[in-house]
Amino acid sequence: MSPNDPEKLEASMHRLLRSLPDRKAPAGLEARVLGELSRRASLPWWRRSYACWPTPVRAAFFIGSAMAAALVVFAFMIVLRSPGAAAVAGGVADRFSWLFIVREIALTAEARARVLFGAIPPLWLYGAIGAIATCYAALAAIGAATYRTLTFARQTP
Amino acid sequence: MRKYQDMVFTTSARLVRNDAQAEDISQEVFIKAHERFEMLSGSPAAGGWLKTVATNLSINHLQRYRNRWRFFSELGGGTGSGGEDLPAVEFAAPETFFEGVDAQERRAWVEDALAKLPDHQRVPLVLYHFEDNSYDEIACRLGVSLAKVKTDILRARAALAKLLSRGGESMAALSH
Repeated sequence: MSPNDPEKLEASMHRLLRSLPDRKAPAGLEARVLGELSRRASLPWWRRSYACWPTPVRAAFFIGSAMAAALVVFAFMIVLRSPGAAAVAGGVADRFSWLFIVREIALTAEARARVLFGAIPPLWLYGAIGAIATCYAALAAIGAATYRTLTFARQTP
Repeated sequence: MRKYQDMVFTTSARLVRNDAQAEDISQEVFIKAHERFEMLSGSPAAGGWLKTVATNLSINHLQRYRNRWRFFSELGGGTGSGGEDLPAVEFAAPETFFEGVDAQERRAWVEDALAKLPDHQRVPLVLYHFEDNSYDEIACRLGVSLAKVKTDILRARAALAKLLSRGGESMAALSH
């Protein structure tokens, strides 16, 4: 039969494969399944999946969850609309006032860095970037070579 | 369960190529069946349902480890284990491989050859020939292109035929 005759090959392969009987399942499969079923059956309902919980419990859990979610949303709305909300917001802003100082420091540092980098000739900058990249590549190469050497030494008896 | 356990185990074993994993999958299939016992008991579709679940769980299992063994590798390089790297040769019709071979030996021989195929060829081949899936269904199930499914199945058949003819030659050599 030619490998270039795919239709004949398909038909004969189909006949061949479909003529195969099923393989025998392992002798212990049935016992394993029954054992696992009895183990799962012995678990209390709260340790099983939600789908296996008793219907009244599932309904109660659903209603309880919905009520808790509604309560949280309601409480949040009350806090937002209360007269003390502005005071609370002010208190929170006071607590995080240090963020403004950090922002000021960052802006000042950025302005100084602009002045400093503006004074450095571009060639020096490119040279520094090139040197850093070379050092990084060399470090990676040394690390990889060391790793390979050590791994090979460990695998060789 | 006794009626279907061989079918479920065979379906899984042919797809995942590992008996221990196939046993785990078969166990999971029967546990799922037990959860739907009322629906399945006495239903003529129970066998089909079990087979579908076994196939789906096996494919899920394979896809979980797809990165580890490059399941759906579009590179399609293969490992050569399926004989796909061998040069194209003329081979006899599969029926003639088994002249003078008893049924038990023949079954073991074909199952062994099937297990030697790389996963990206064996899985679509099994789905096509054993599960009667169409090319489109296989492409959809495995999440690969239709062209890849067709190519993989074509190569899988050729590789299987080569493996069987090689096995036939060695069997003939052994018998002489």
